[in-house]
Amino acid sequence: MNRQLAHLSDEALVALAARSEESALAELYDRFGRTAYGLAIRVLRDPVLAEDAVQEAFLTVWRTASRFVPEKGKASTWILTLVHRRAVDTVRHEQRRRTDSLDRAAEPAVQGVEEDAWLRLQRERVQEALRRLPDAQREALELAYYGGFSQSELAERLGQPLGTIKSRMFGGLSRLRELLGEPGTEVSWTSTS
Amino acid sequence: MDLHELTAAYALDALDADEAEAYELHLGQCEECREELAGLNEAAGHLAFATVAPAPPPRLRAAIVERAAAERSNVVPLLRRRWVARGLGVAAAAAACVVVGLSVALSQSSHTRYVGIGVVLGANGQATLTVYGLAAAPHGKTYEAWVIPAGHSPRPAGLFSGNTTVRLHVAVPKNAVVAVTVERAGGVRAPTTAPIISART
Repeated sequence: MNRQLAHLSDEALVALAARSEESALAELYDRFGRTAYGLAIRVLRDPVLAEDAVQEAFLTVWRTASRFVPEKGKASTWILTLVHRRAVDTVRHEQRRRTDSLDRAAEPAVQGVEEDAWLRLQRERVQEALRRLPDAQREALELAYYGGFSQSELAERLGQPLGTIKSRMFGGLSRLRELLGEPGTEVSWTSTS
Repeated sequence: MDLHELTAAYALDALDADEAEAYELHLGQCEECREELAGLNEAAGHLAFATVAPAPPPRLRAAIVERAAAERSNVVPLLRRRWVARGLGVAAAAAACVVVGLSVALSQSSHTRYVGIGVVLGANGQATLTVYGLAAAPHGKTYEAWVIPAGHSPRPAGLFSGNTTVRLHVAVPKNAVVAVTVERAGGVRAPTTAPIISART
């Protein structure tokens, strides 16, 4: 069964999950679980909370797979959106968060990580695209996405008008979309580390 | 607040709860925002791939698959519930009265599951019972239906092992309660456990 699943698209796996096929959910986890966990760790900075966020997000995939509409977006985007939303909800409910400084969005040092070549290429490609954004746009994206700060929190903490924060987010995300929409053309795939 | 401007922040989950709610309502009416959001969502999704982290512990995968499997046996898909409702609707056209009971029960894994019964009353108090949302009865147990006329003790009205539509063995008068309990296989003459669901006619 798993051999067959390996040849299916992400979207086909979601359709199978909607028919209560557990092996399809397991295959989706095998494809995106590691990225999901990495994202949750980055936002939550706590392995236990991260595990919980990933688990709840994949169970949401399981429960709501029948409502996924492939025409509206990719399955991977949907799954990672669920993971991100869960992690952000958790971080916002954490009391200690109120005193957190903005540098919580900074990349924590992680040592000795083994990862497969595809994930490494993906990471380098997105990191390279981020580096090409104007500093203010990159900062807004990183603080919002990895830090879990809302736009109004960012306006307050960065001492900028809300309108400025909104346009930085929009500008940054739109540019990121352009840069990543053209794989291999503009973005360097060589590692800079 | 111009809701169009919130698309990027929504894609980044950077809206407060009330803003997100307002934006979602707006999305339902704005084709332009839906299209823009699809693109920006995808861009935001890329950001997930820029993180570095150790591999998750193997127990995480096991826990997800195990909980998913547990839910499958407990949760009846919405589709089937609609189907049951439609079935009841057809039956109701020829019947005097339909009553429906719905209970929300917590399963062991603490997920909500819905158990519902529908009772279709025909002529002379004849009635059929439709049950949905039930897991199969545990080994050595059965579900037992009861008809409890106002001011009387419960009358055994039939046995079944899971989701089903059955004709009740006894007539159902007005103002009676139809209930379901879990009993030992073979059934009992009087209920020994609290009803898991009931409906009043």
